[in-house]
Amino acid sequence: MPLRVPEHLVKAFRDAGVTAEATVFAASDGLGDEWEETVAELRAAFQVTQAALQRGSPVVYVVAGDDLLGRRGPGRAMVACGLLSAARTAAVEGARAGVPVNTLAVEADTPPATVAAWVARLLEPGGPTGELVRLGTAHLGKALP
Amino acid sequence: MTRVAVVTGAAAGIGRAIARRLAAAGDTIVAVDIAPGVHDTADRLRETGAVAVRADLTEAVGLEAVRDAIRGIDGHLGVLVNCAGITRDARIVNMAAEDFEAVLAVNTGAAYQLTRLLVPDMVTGSAIVNISSRAYLGNFGQFNYSMSKGALVGMTRALALDLAPGIRVNAVAPGLIGTEMVMTIPEEIRDRMIAAIPAGRMGTPEEIAEVAAWLASPASSYVTGTVLIAGGGRSLTR
Repeated sequence: MPLRVPEHLVKAFRDAGVTAEATVFAASDGLGDEWEETVAELRAAFQVTQAALQRGSPVVYVVAGDDLLGRRGPGRAMVACGLLSAARTAAVEGARAGVPVNTLAVEADTPPATVAAWVARLLEPGGPTGELVRLGTAHLGKALP
Repeated sequence: MTRVAVVTGAAAGIGRAIARRLAAAGDTIVAVDIAPGVHDTADRLRETGAVAVRADLTEAVGLEAVRDAIRGIDGHLGVLVNCAGITRDARIVNMAAEDFEAVLAVNTGAAYQLTRLLVPDMVTGSAIVNISSRAYLGNFGQFNYSMSKGALVGMTRALALDLAPGIRVNAVAPGLIGTEMVMTIPEEIRDRMIAAIPAGRMGTPEEIAEVAAWLASPASSYVTGTVLIAGGGRSLTR
Protein backbone atom coordinates (compact mmCIF):
# COMPACT_ATOMS: atom_id res chain seq x y z
CA MET A 1 0.00 0.00 0.00
CA PRO A 2 1.95 3.06 -1.21
CA LEU A 3 -0.19 5.59 0.64
CA ARG A 4 0.65 5.11 4.33
CA VAL A 5 -0.77 8.13 6.04
CA PRO A 6 -2.99 8.73 9.08
CA GLU A 7 -6.71 8.34 8.52
CA HIS A 8 -7.40 12.04 9.05
CA LEU A 9 -5.19 12.92 6.07
CA VAL A 10 -6.71 10.53 3.55
CA LYS A 11 -9.59 12.76 2.47
CA ALA A 12 -7.32 15.80 2.22
CA PHE A 13 -4.94 13.82 0.03
CA ARG A 14 -7.78 12.75 -2.20
CA ASP A 15 -9.01 16.34 -2.46
CA ALA A 16 -5.50 17.49 -3.37
CA GLY A 17 -5.30 14.96 -6.17
CA VAL A 18 -2.75 12.69 -4.52
CA THR A 19 -3.54 9.40 -6.16
CA ALA A 20 -3.29 5.92 -4.68
CA GLU A 21 -0.39 5.29 -7.05
CA ALA A 22 1.73 7.92 -5.35
CA THR A 23 4.01 6.77 -2.55
CA VAL A 24 3.59 8.75 0.63
CA PHE A 25 5.00 7.41 3.87
CA ALA A 26 4.10 9.26 7.05
CA ALA A 27 6.12 8.34 10.12
CA SER A 28 3.87 6.90 12.78
CA ASP A 29 3.07 9.34 15.55
CA GLY A 30 2.63 6.58 18.12
CA LEU A 31 6.20 5.35 18.25
CA GLY A 32 7.99 4.74 21.53
CA ASP A 33 11.68 4.43 22.24
CA GLU A 34 12.16 0.68 21.80
CA TRP A 35 14.57 -0.24 19.02
CA GLU A 36 12.24 -2.92 17.66
CA GLU A 37 9.58 -0.28 16.99
CA THR A 38 12.11 2.03 15.40
CA VAL A 39 13.55 -0.53 13.02
CA ALA A 40 10.09 -1.82 12.10
CA GLU A 41 9.14 1.69 10.99
CA LEU A 42 12.36 2.15 9.01
CA ARG A 43 11.91 -1.29 7.45
CA ALA A 44 8.40 -0.37 6.33
CA ALA A 45 9.77 2.78 4.72
CA PHE A 46 12.49 0.78 2.96
CA GLN A 47 9.93 -1.63 1.54
CA VAL A 48 7.57 1.00 0.13
CA THR A 49 10.45 3.10 -1.20
CA GLN A 50 12.10 0.16 -2.93
CA ALA A 51 8.79 -0.77 -4.56
CA ALA A 52 8.22 2.84 -5.61
CA LEU A 53 11.61 3.27 -7.22
CA GLN A 54 11.32 -0.07 -8.97
CA ARG A 55 8.22 1.20 -10.76
CA GLY A 56 9.50 4.78 -11.14
CA SER A 57 7.04 6.35 -8.71
CA PRO A 58 7.89 9.53 -6.77
CA VAL A 59 8.07 9.38 -2.98
CA VAL A 60 7.36 11.78 -0.12
CA TYR A 61 8.11 11.08 3.50
CA VAL A 62 6.11 13.03 6.08
CA VAL A 63 7.74 13.51 9.48
CA ALA A 64 7.23 15.73 12.50
CA GLY A 65 9.51 18.75 12.51
CA ASP A 66 10.04 18.32 16.24
CA ASP A 67 11.42 14.84 15.65
CA LEU A 68 14.10 16.06 13.26
CA LEU A 69 15.53 17.97 16.22
CA GLY A 70 15.05 15.15 18.74
CA ARG A 71 12.41 16.95 20.78
CA ARG A 72 10.14 13.93 21.34
CA GLY A 73 12.59 11.19 22.24
CA PRO A 74 15.15 9.02 20.48
CA GLY A 75 12.76 6.56 18.85
CA ARG A 76 10.91 9.18 16.86
CA ALA A 77 14.12 11.11 16.19
CA MET A 78 15.85 8.05 14.75
CA VAL A 79 12.91 7.44 12.44
CA ALA A 80 12.55 11.06 11.29
CA CYS A 81 16.26 11.63 10.72
CA GLY A 82 16.70 8.16 9.22
CA LEU A 83 13.93 8.90 6.74
CA LEU A 84 15.41 12.27 5.85
CA SER A 85 18.80 10.72 5.08
CA ALA A 86 17.19 7.85 3.18
CA ALA A 87 15.18 10.31 1.10
CA ARG A 88 18.36 12.16 0.18
CA THR A 89 20.01 8.95 -0.99
CA ALA A 90 16.90 7.72 -2.82
CA ALA A 91 16.77 11.12 -4.53
CA VAL A 92 20.34 10.68 -5.73
CA GLU A 93 19.47 7.26 -7.13
CA GLY A 94 16.18 8.39 -8.67
CA ALA A 95 17.54 11.57 -10.21
CA ARG A 96 18.68 10.07 -13.50
CA ALA A 97 15.21 8.65 -14.13
CA GLY A 98 13.54 11.89 -13.04
CA VAL A 99 11.93 10.36 -9.95
CA PRO A 100 11.70 12.87 -7.11
CA VAL A 101 12.04 11.83 -3.47
CA ASN A 102 11.40 14.47 -0.83
CA THR A 103 10.66 14.97 2.86
CA LEU A 104 7.94 17.14 4.37
CA ALA A 105 8.20 18.14 8.01
CA VAL A 106 4.96 19.21 9.65
CA GLU A 107 3.74 20.44 13.02
CA ALA A 108 0.95 18.92 15.09
CA ASP A 109 -1.45 21.68 14.09
CA THR A 110 -0.58 21.87 10.40
CA PRO A 111 -3.95 21.68 8.59
CA PRO A 112 -4.46 18.45 6.61
CA ALA A 113 -5.19 20.43 3.45
CA THR A 114 -1.83 22.17 3.78
CA VAL A 115 -0.02 18.87 4.26
CA ALA A 116 -1.79 17.40 1.26
CA ALA A 117 -1.07 20.40 -0.95
CA TRP A 118 2.62 20.27 -0.17
CA VAL A 119 2.78 16.52 -0.68
CA ALA A 120 1.12 16.91 -4.06
CA ARG A 121 3.66 19.57 -4.98
CA LEU A 122 6.63 17.45 -3.86
CA LEU A 123 5.41 14.46 -5.87
CA GLU A 124 5.41 16.35 -9.17
CA PRO A 125 7.82 15.01 -11.77
CA GLY A 126 10.36 17.65 -12.67
CA GLY A 127 9.96 19.32 -9.30
CA PRO A 128 12.50 19.51 -6.51
CA THR A 129 14.14 16.32 -5.29
CA GLY A 130 16.16 15.44 -2.21
CA GLU A 131 14.59 18.41 -0.47
CA LEU A 132 13.28 18.97 3.02
CA VAL A 133 10.36 21.37 3.36
CA ARG A 134 9.60 22.42 6.92
CA LEU A 135 6.14 23.83 7.60
CA GLY A 136 5.22 25.96 10.58
CA THR A 137 7.49 28.16 12.63
CA ALA A 138 8.97 25.93 15.37
CA HIS A 139 12.12 25.34 13.30
CA LEU A 140 12.94 28.99 12.76
CA GLY A 141 16.34 29.91 14.11
CA LYS A 142 17.11 26.29 14.98
CA ALA A 143 19.51 23.69 13.64
CA LEU A 144 19.42 22.57 10.01
CA PRO A 145 18.71 18.80 10.08
CA MET B 1 40.32 7.83 39.51
CA THR B 2 40.91 7.03 35.86
CA ARG B 3 38.40 7.88 33.15
CA VAL B 4 37.15 4.83 31.28
CA ALA B 5 36.41 5.20 27.58
CA VAL B 6 34.45 2.59 25.68
CA VAL B 7 35.21 2.51 21.95
CA THR B 8 33.26 0.19 19.67
CA GLY B 9 34.55 -0.85 16.27
CA ALA B 10 38.02 -0.68 17.78
CA ALA B 11 39.63 -3.53 15.84
CA ALA B 12 40.54 -1.35 12.88
CA GLY B 13 40.22 1.95 11.10
CA ILE B 14 38.63 4.93 12.82
CA GLY B 15 37.67 3.04 15.98
CA ARG B 16 41.20 1.81 16.53
CA ALA B 17 42.61 5.29 15.95
CA ILE B 18 40.16 6.75 18.47
CA ALA B 19 41.10 4.12 21.04
CA ARG B 20 44.78 4.97 20.60
CA ARG B 21 44.14 8.70 20.76
CA LEU B 22 42.07 8.52 23.94
CA ALA B 23 44.58 6.18 25.57
CA ALA B 24 47.34 8.64 24.76
CA ALA B 25 45.32 11.30 26.60
CA GLY B 26 45.17 9.11 29.69
CA ASP B 27 41.91 7.19 29.35
CA THR B 28 41.58 3.52 30.17
CA ILE B 29 40.13 1.97 27.05
CA VAL B 30 37.54 -0.74 26.74
CA ALA B 31 38.04 -1.73 23.13
CA VAL B 32 35.03 -3.50 21.63
CA ASP B 33 34.60 -5.27 18.33
CA ILE B 34 33.27 -8.46 16.84
CA ALA B 35 36.53 -8.90 14.92
CA PRO B 36 39.49 -10.64 16.58
CA GLY B 37 41.73 -7.65 15.84
CA VAL B 38 40.28 -5.97 18.92
CA HIS B 39 42.69 -8.02 21.02
CA ASP B 40 45.63 -6.54 19.12
CA THR B 41 44.27 -3.02 19.69
CA ALA B 42 44.08 -3.63 23.44
CA ASP B 43 47.41 -5.45 23.59
CA ARG B 44 49.17 -2.44 22.11
CA LEU B 45 47.60 -0.27 24.79
CA ARG B 46 48.11 -2.73 27.61
CA GLU B 47 50.38 -0.45 29.64
CA THR B 48 47.48 2.02 29.88
CA GLY B 49 45.20 -0.66 31.29
CA ALA B 50 43.18 -1.24 28.13
CA VAL B 51 40.98 -4.30 27.88
CA ALA B 52 39.40 -5.97 24.88
CA VAL B 53 35.85 -7.19 24.57
CA ARG B 54 35.14 -9.32 21.53
CA ALA B 55 31.39 -9.16 21.22
CA ASP B 56 28.45 -9.01 18.86
CA LEU B 57 26.65 -5.85 19.90
CA THR B 58 23.46 -6.87 18.14
CA GLU B 59 23.00 -9.49 20.87
CA ALA B 60 22.09 -8.80 24.50
CA VAL B 61 24.92 -10.99 25.73
CA GLY B 62 27.40 -8.89 23.77
CA LEU B 63 26.10 -5.67 25.26
CA GLU B 64 26.27 -7.09 28.77
CA ALA B 65 29.85 -8.24 28.20
CA VAL B 66 30.82 -4.60 27.63
CA ARG B 67 29.13 -3.48 30.84
CA ASP B 68 30.78 -6.29 32.79
CA ALA B 69 34.20 -5.30 31.47
CA ILE B 70 33.69 -1.69 32.55
CA ARG B 71 32.64 -2.71 36.03
CA GLY B 72 35.84 -4.73 36.33
CA ILE B 73 37.96 -1.58 36.00
CA ASP B 74 38.83 0.74 38.86
CA GLY B 75 37.60 3.93 37.24
CA HIS B 76 34.54 5.88 36.19
CA LEU B 77 32.82 5.58 32.83
CA GLY B 78 33.28 8.98 31.19
CA VAL B 79 33.29 8.36 27.45
CA LEU B 80 31.34 6.21 25.03
CA VAL B 81 32.30 6.25 21.36
CA ASN B 82 29.87 4.38 19.12
CA CYS B 83 31.99 3.63 16.07
CA ALA B 84 31.08 0.07 15.06
CA GLY B 85 29.72 0.06 11.53
CA ILE B 86 29.34 -1.99 8.39
CA THR B 87 28.36 -1.40 4.78
CA ARG B 88 26.28 -3.55 2.43
CA ASP B 89 26.03 -1.31 -0.61
CA ALA B 90 23.58 -1.63 -3.48
CA ARG B 91 21.14 0.59 -5.33
CA ILE B 92 17.86 0.54 -3.46
CA VAL B 93 16.07 -1.15 -6.35
CA ASN B 94 18.40 -4.12 -5.94
CA MET B 95 18.99 -4.03 -2.19
CA ALA B 96 18.40 -7.31 -0.37
CA ALA B 97 16.26 -7.22 2.76
CA GLU B 98 18.98 -8.94 4.79
CA ASP B 99 21.49 -6.25 3.82
CA PHE B 100 19.08 -3.57 4.95
CA GLU B 101 18.55 -5.35 8.27
CA ALA B 102 22.25 -6.01 8.94
CA VAL B 103 23.33 -2.42 8.42
CA LEU B 104 20.54 -0.96 10.56
CA ALA B 105 21.17 -3.49 13.33
CA VAL B 106 24.90 -2.78 13.63
CA ASN B 107 25.17 0.88 12.76
CA THR B 108 22.17 2.17 14.69
CA GLY B 109 20.57 -0.57 16.77
CA ALA B 110 23.75 -1.66 18.52
CA ALA B 111 24.79 1.93 19.21
CA TYR B 112 21.39 2.76 20.65
CA GLN B 113 21.11 -0.35 22.78
CA LEU B 114 24.65 -0.02 24.14
CA THR B 115 24.08 3.63 24.96
CA ARG B 116 20.86 2.86 26.82
CA LEU B 117 22.63 0.16 28.79
CA LEU B 118 25.64 2.25 29.75
CA VAL B 119 24.13 5.68 30.44
CA PRO B 120 23.09 4.78 34.00
CA ASP B 121 26.76 4.08 34.76
CA MET B 122 28.02 7.35 33.28
CA VAL B 123 29.01 10.18 35.58
CA THR B 124 28.19 13.87 35.27
CA GLY B 125 30.55 15.44 32.77
CA SER B 126 30.61 12.39 30.53
CA ALA B 127 30.52 12.52 26.75
CA ILE B 128 29.03 10.29 24.09
CA VAL B 129 30.42 10.53 20.58
CA ASN B 130 28.56 8.82 17.76
CA ILE B 131 30.48 8.18 14.57
CA SER B 132 27.97 8.88 11.83
CA SER B 133 29.00 9.50 8.23
CA ARG B 134 28.87 12.22 5.63
CA ALA B 135 26.55 9.75 3.88
CA TYR B 136 23.78 10.97 6.16
CA LEU B 137 23.49 13.79 3.63
CA GLY B 138 22.82 11.21 0.90
CA ASN B 139 25.09 8.92 -1.08
CA PHE B 140 24.49 6.76 -4.14
CA GLY B 141 24.15 3.04 -3.45
CA GLN B 142 23.86 3.45 0.29
CA PHE B 143 20.17 3.70 1.15
CA ASN B 144 20.62 1.43 4.17
CA TYR B 145 23.88 3.00 5.32
CA SER B 146 22.63 6.55 4.82
CA MET B 147 19.43 5.80 6.73
CA SER B 148 21.39 4.15 9.55
CA LYS B 149 23.75 7.08 9.90
CA GLY B 150 20.91 9.58 9.70
CA ALA B 151 19.12 7.69 12.45
CA LEU B 152 22.31 7.95 14.47
CA VAL B 153 22.15 11.71 14.03
CA GLY B 154 18.57 11.68 15.28
CA MET B 155 19.61 9.62 18.27
CA THR B 156 22.39 12.11 18.94
CA ARG B 157 20.00 15.07 19.00
CA ALA B 158 17.36 13.36 21.15
CA LEU B 159 19.84 12.07 23.70
CA ALA B 160 21.60 15.42 23.83
CA LEU B 161 18.30 16.88 25.00
CA ASP B 162 17.39 13.96 27.27
CA LEU B 163 20.77 13.69 29.01
CA ALA B 164 21.58 17.39 29.40
CA PRO B 165 23.12 18.92 31.40
CA GLY B 166 25.05 15.96 32.81
CA ILE B 167 26.11 14.16 29.65
CA ARG B 168 26.98 15.69 26.29
CA VAL B 169 26.11 13.83 23.09
CA ASN B 170 27.59 14.70 19.72
CA ALA B 171 28.27 13.09 16.37
CA VAL B 172 31.09 13.12 13.85
CA ALA B 173 30.31 12.64 10.17
CA PRO B 174 33.51 11.56 8.46
CA GLY B 175 33.90 11.76 4.72
CA LEU B 176 36.19 9.51 2.70
CA ILE B 177 38.71 8.16 5.17
CA GLY B 178 41.61 5.89 4.28
CA THR B 179 40.48 2.90 6.30
CA GLU B 180 41.02 -0.73 5.38
CA MET B 181 37.38 -0.79 4.19
CA VAL B 182 37.81 2.18 1.86
CA MET B 183 41.11 0.92 0.49
CA THR B 184 39.25 -2.08 -0.96
CA ILE B 185 37.51 0.30 -3.40
CA PRO B 186 39.18 0.09 -6.83
CA GLU B 187 41.87 2.76 -7.19
CA GLU B 188 40.27 4.30 -10.26
CA ILE B 189 37.00 4.88 -8.39
CA ARG B 190 38.83 6.15 -5.33
CA ASP B 191 40.72 8.65 -7.48
CA ARG B 192 37.41 9.97 -8.85
CA MET B 193 36.09 10.35 -5.33
CA ILE B 194 39.21 12.14 -4.20
CA ALA B 195 38.96 14.53 -7.14
CA ALA B 196 35.72 15.87 -5.62
CA ILE B 197 37.32 16.60 -2.25
CA PRO B 198 38.62 20.16 -1.90
CA ALA B 199 41.28 18.93 0.52
CA GLY B 200 42.67 16.91 -2.38
CA ARG B 201 43.03 13.66 -0.47
CA MET B 202 41.30 11.15 1.75
CA GLY B 203 41.25 11.83 5.46
CA THR B 204 43.10 9.62 7.90
CA PRO B 205 41.62 7.71 10.83
CA GLU B 206 43.88 9.78 13.07
CA GLU B 207 42.28 13.01 11.85
CA ILE B 208 38.83 11.70 12.80
CA ALA B 209 40.24 10.52 16.11
CA GLU B 210 41.32 14.09 16.86
CA VAL B 211 37.77 15.33 16.29
CA ALA B 212 36.29 12.57 18.43
CA ALA B 213 38.83 13.18 21.19
CA TRP B 214 37.95 16.86 21.22
CA LEU B 215 34.24 16.11 21.50
CA ALA B 216 35.03 13.67 24.33
CA SER B 217 37.13 16.21 26.20
CA PRO B 218 36.24 19.13 28.50
CA ALA B 219 37.60 21.42 25.77
CA SER B 220 34.21 21.02 24.05
CA SER B 221 32.21 21.46 27.26
CA TYR B 222 29.65 23.81 25.67
CA VAL B 223 29.03 21.60 22.62
CA THR B 224 26.15 19.13 22.56
CA GLY B 225 23.66 17.83 20.02
CA THR B 226 25.80 18.76 17.07
CA VAL B 227 27.06 16.93 14.01
CA LEU B 228 30.59 17.82 13.03
CA ILE B 229 31.28 16.99 9.39
CA ALA B 230 34.91 16.06 8.79
CA GLY B 231 35.05 15.50 5.07
CA GLY B 232 37.69 17.78 3.63
CA GLY B 233 35.02 20.07 2.20
CA ARG B 234 33.35 17.33 0.13
CA SER B 235 29.87 18.46 1.16
CA LEU B 236 30.34 21.68 -0.79
CA THR B 237 31.40 20.43 -4.20
CA ARG B 238 29.32 18.98 -7.07
